Amino acid sequence: MSSSNINRPISRRNFLKWSGAAATAATVGGQPRVLHALTAAEGAAAGEDTAEKVFSICDMCLNKCGLIARVEDGVVAKLDPNPKFLKSRGMLCARGNAGIAQLYDPDRLKYPLLRKGKRGEGKWQRVSWEQALDYAAEKLAAIADQYTRCGVLFSPGSDTQSQFVHRFASVFGSWNVVTHESNCLISRNRAYLDTFGEVPFADVLHSKYIVMAGANRFEALITPDSIDLMTARKNGQKLVVLDPRYTKTAALADEWYPVRPGTDLAFFLALAHVIINEKLYDADYAAEKLSGMEELTAHVQPYTPEWAEKETEIPARHIRRIARELAAAAPASMIYPGRRTSDYVNSTQIRRAMAIVNALLGNWDQPGGLLAARQVGLSSPSLPDAPWYDDNMMERADHGRAHMMFEEEGSFKHMRDAIIEGEPYPVKGWFVYKMNPLQSGANQAKTLQMIEKLDFMMSVDIAMSDTAWMSDLVLPAPSYLERLDPISGLQGSAACACVATRVPAVPALFESRPVLWILKELANRLDLGEYFDFDMEWYRKEQLKDLPDAEKALAEDGVYYNPSKLYGIYEGKIYRTKSKKIELHNVRYKEMGLDPIPVYTPPKPIPSDKFRLVLGRNAMFTHCTTNHNRLLNQFMSENTLWIHPDSADRLGIGDGDPVVVKSPVGRESLKAELKPGIRKDTVYMASGWGALSKGLSGVHNTGACVAALMEDYADALSGNMAMHETFVSVARKGAA
Amino acid sequence: MFKRIAIVLLGLGLIVTMTAAVMAADMGNERKGKFLFRKNCRACHQDGQSAPALNPDSKTQAQWERIFEKNKYEDFECSAEWTKLSEDDLKDILAYVHGHAFDSPSPAKCK
Repeated sequence: MSSSNINRPISRRNFLKWSGAAATAATVGGQPRVLHALTAAEGAAAGEDTAEKVFSICDMCLNKCGLIARVEDGVVAKLDPNPKFLKSRGMLCARGNAGIAQLYDPDRLKYPLLRKGKRGEGKWQRVSWEQALDYAAEKLAAIADQYTRCGVLFSPGSDTQSQFVHRFASVFGSWNVVTHESNCLISRNRAYLDTFGEVPFADVLHSKYIVMAGANRFEALITPDSIDLMTARKNGQKLVVLDPRYTKTAALADEWYPVRPGTDLAFFLALAHVIINEKLYDADYAAEKLSGMEELTAHVQPYTPEWAEKETEIPARHIRRIARELAAAAPASMIYPGRRTSDYVNSTQIRRAMAIVNALLGNWDQPGGLLAARQVGLSSPSLPDAPWYDDNMMERADHGRAHMMFEEEGSFKHMRDAIIEGEPYPVKGWFVYKMNPLQSGANQAKTLQMIEKLDFMMSVDIAMSDTAWMSDLVLPAPSYLERLDPISGLQGSAACACVATRVPAVPALFESRPVLWILKELANRLDLGEYFDFDMEWYRKEQLKDLPDAEKALAEDGVYYNPSKLYGIYEGKIYRTKSKKIELHNVRYKEMGLDPIPVYTPPKPIPSDKFRLVLGRNAMFTHCTTNHNRLLNQFMSENTLWIHPDSADRLGIGDGDPVVVKSPVGRESLKAELKPGIRKDTVYMASGWGALSKGLSGVHNTGACVAALMEDYADALSGNMAMHETFVSVARKGAA
Repeated sequence: MFKRIAIVLLGLGLIVTMTAAVMAADMGNERKGKFLFRKNCRACHQDGQSAPALNPDSKTQAQWERIFEKNKYEDFECSAEWTKLSEDDLKDILAYVHGHAFDSPSPAKCK
């Protein structure tokens, strides 16, 4: 499919074709009202520019890029980028353009569905909202009565309205909240909090030299970083990429090193060795800002580039040169902090080592370095305090399973184990909002095992994800183009600190209802209505009460900028660490008996007949949620197994051959794709395929589910899922 | 009230050499502390109210410890409110503010 197709407005013909497809999809739940809801476009006169333009922010991934929806006769005809939206540099990516296909997706959930057969069997009964909400409230109350209020787990998603699910959990009385983040980036957050006291933004645009490891920024898009990286490259920035795969980021880099997976820590310790031993750091800065220089100096002595070469397979002379080049460009140079860091059992320590090199470069709070959070200025509306329940559990169910778990995020891996074990107490309910851990969490069989332990599971979503498919009750939510949402406060790296608005471009389709409405209704039924006695209009006004110019700017431009300080925020201030400085040597870790400076442990050796399975994002799909999107699916209609031609040859596998991939926890089939740009000991596949749900046409039974293959290891410090610790065997189908 | 706090501090004094994490745990229950902090402190200590906004991350762990250990509240305008709190309440509140202090592993505002 050519890229021009992406920007083409949906034609009437396609629109009606989709409507027809939606009627066909009625086998999932019987959905006869699709055509009725979508026929509002019929009256539009050809050639007339009667489009209404509505400011919104995208929800096809987490970035929240600014857009303008063109609405013609009640139908969203096209999504344009908001040219005044600096965070996204006035652009909207292919995924963003495809948001229109989420709105008019024939696979959308259209009314409440109650499971009638066994879990996962796909037998549903359409019920009214009254019936659905009464049933949900009754089930939640019954679990609270029998198992305490902590007997219900809440998974709030990463949506603009997810904050209300957090509030509901708090008001209901459950500490058991697990977000998506423990399947994504919490080890990075842990590492930077424990080094700088804050999770940074990367000033990619002004950086002269970037080392990128464990990140694929030209495919796993982050705004403005992905765009700024391209701009900076044109301006002479040097980019060095470490990745076992020849990604698009590697292809556009100055240097690519196919690092031996699991050895990045050796590379960064060796960089620190060179910078320290050759005194390439600013001694005055180190004396003033860094804590633990003496300990770090002693610690890195064994970690020479020659030693690191044996671990990483990156030549020592290059490690030495890269260290010198980084230092020469400092402070406008960086080790890019990355995002998804759910890879190894020592993920936090790997990112700690990256943070330590950044500290040696002196780039914190500096142009071209790592940036602190700017002031955005949104207020938190004052709501009634959550009640206290004396007859409740005192801790989360996953408490104590990781050294330094984030209370607000939890750990999906550890919570799932706790539920399966029934220890320390039973958790028997699960409320899920726009999360799909059956596809995003490693070891799908275990997630199914966890679900078997539940008395009640409900999902609120736009489409029938695998997680919704396994639920007892499924409630339809509107897409972002149909919603009035809380105001968003955003920081776009060096580009801006801003607030952005999302207002409905069109009314909510079918019987879909926003999750705030659902939560208010549930609260009323559970005698908790007083805690949700507000509406979205009031909430948004309260958020903006200290930004008098914002309302006008949002109405005129869809965005308001706070001209707050960008660099030098920390001038004269202490850091949020125990030593009040940037901690090379972490004082708290030492007190807790953890390695205060990262110690290298070699990764488990890969058996000769196996491969290491690695994950990675591409530009089309988000967290296994957009694979079935009609427009994006045309870019990639199934996943393949990336395997090196030499490895494939050894196994008698040709390009496009069907193969069976086996791990200790699963077995999946898909086609092989021979790629010279992947290490011979590593294989890769994209996530989000091989869906269980028959409600996701184009993804159900298509390709392989990587979550079914990955074993569920966890980062020891943060509880982050560790998804690169699995070894798999590969065989041509029929030969397996 | 002073005596009651002194008893609490005597108890705390036995563990001063232990780690911060253990120390926070022995201070009380931070979940209950959050509820009590909101109920007893936030009514005044927030923007637009009679006292300066106060959150756990407004102070370092050491500062919170000093406030609670040295009975600084006796000089506060709200000392009367403090005296209404039980020993357990104070332990719980300290656990909450200490666990989310400026230099804690999870610095936080009171939301």
